[in-house]
Amino acid sequence: MGDDLEIYKVVYHINEDDPSRQASILRNIQNHIDAIENKKSDIRVVLHGDGLSILIIPVALKRLKKFNFANAHIQTVANIDALKLQGVNFKVCSNTIINRGIDIENDLYDVESQDIVKSGINELVRLQNLGYVYIKP
Amino acid sequence: MSSNKDIELNAYVDGELSDDDRIEILSIMRSNPEIAKTACELANLKSQLQLAYAAPPGIGVKGVKLTRRHCNAIAAGAVMLATGLIGGWFVGNSPSPGDRFVMLDSNGYGQAPAYSKNAETRIVFHLTTPDQTEVSELLFDIEEMLVEHRKKGSPLRVEIVSHGEGLDLLRTKLSKHQATINKLASQFDNLTFVACKNTIERVEVSEGIEITVLPSVKIIDSGVTHVVKRQKEGWTYIRV
Repeated sequence: MGDDLEIYKVVYHINEDDPSRQASILRNIQNHIDAIENKKSDIRVVLHGDGLSILIIPVALKRLKKFNFANAHIQTVANIDALKLQGVNFKVCSNTIINRGIDIENDLYDVESQDIVKSGINELVRLQNLGYVYIKP
Repeated sequence: MSSNKDIELNAYVDGELSDDDRIEILSIMRSNPEIAKTACELANLKSQLQLAYAAPPGIGVKGVKLTRRHCNAIAAGAVMLATGLIGGWFVGNSPSPGDRFVMLDSNGYGQAPAYSKNAETRIVFHLTTPDQTEVSELLFDIEEMLVEHRKKGSPLRVEIVSHGEGLDLLRTKLSKHQATINKLASQFDNLTFVACKNTIERVEVSEGIEITVLPSVKIIDSGVTHVVKRQKEGWTYIRV
């Protein structure tokens, strides 16, 4: 089998705001990358609802009444950066951004226009239809 | 067999091993029919137990599915495994839509996949969260999706299966979204709200009251069995 040519296509789903759960999901993803070693992978993380809290910088929490947590602390941000450097894509739901009044530039850590999808749920459906394996740790 | 092997075999049946480990297990099974038989028994046991578990299989798609047919095939002589044909299928590398759900005939050969690209989009939401604020955004997304598909004329079916604490959303006395649910259910006949009878009965016993659900809700025996069935049928699965 053409094992070298194979691409591992995976989508992780985060919609909860518990910081320790989020930290453990980031660890899961790192372990996942370590396990497939140097094989090609395309790993996406879809964030919507409370899940966006992983990218919310702590000073923004006062402003954002619809969130209970802002988890983009130094350690979380370092872990996210490390994953991004290994090719992991974080996709953010624009419905959540609008409904919860988030200012992308000032409230979120390192989100650019190409990271935004219209609906997180729809992105999960779309990626699964493209053959991505769905994981909700 | 050492207990280590048992754990590994269990992980194999659950589809949780890395490709390398799966290949190793496969080659052990080829040379040792006894272990192959144990794997089959485990797989059968698992498919029965799965129905009783509270949590759904996280990576249903990637799980290695051993059916009774495979067991017969292996018992018949593990020859087919040795051809590498089945082995290759088991290792099941790229999970593209076409080969996610391949059925085998009695000779162990694949038939047409249960999923085709032009088929309607079918999504099952497995609702286990008691957080109804989160759910309001979910309902918003689902409505948007239903409206969009209707506009485009592309077929879509959506089921929201409440289970465990997710039941609150559909309880007449606890739902915070009755109006939305009633409205969506009457507007879209391709949307179904489903409640798990096991959950209802369990809560009735623990709370000592009779539970009523919203009028549009369909009650099925087991929420877990239902989402497992839907995944086997090729539905997209999302847990909320």
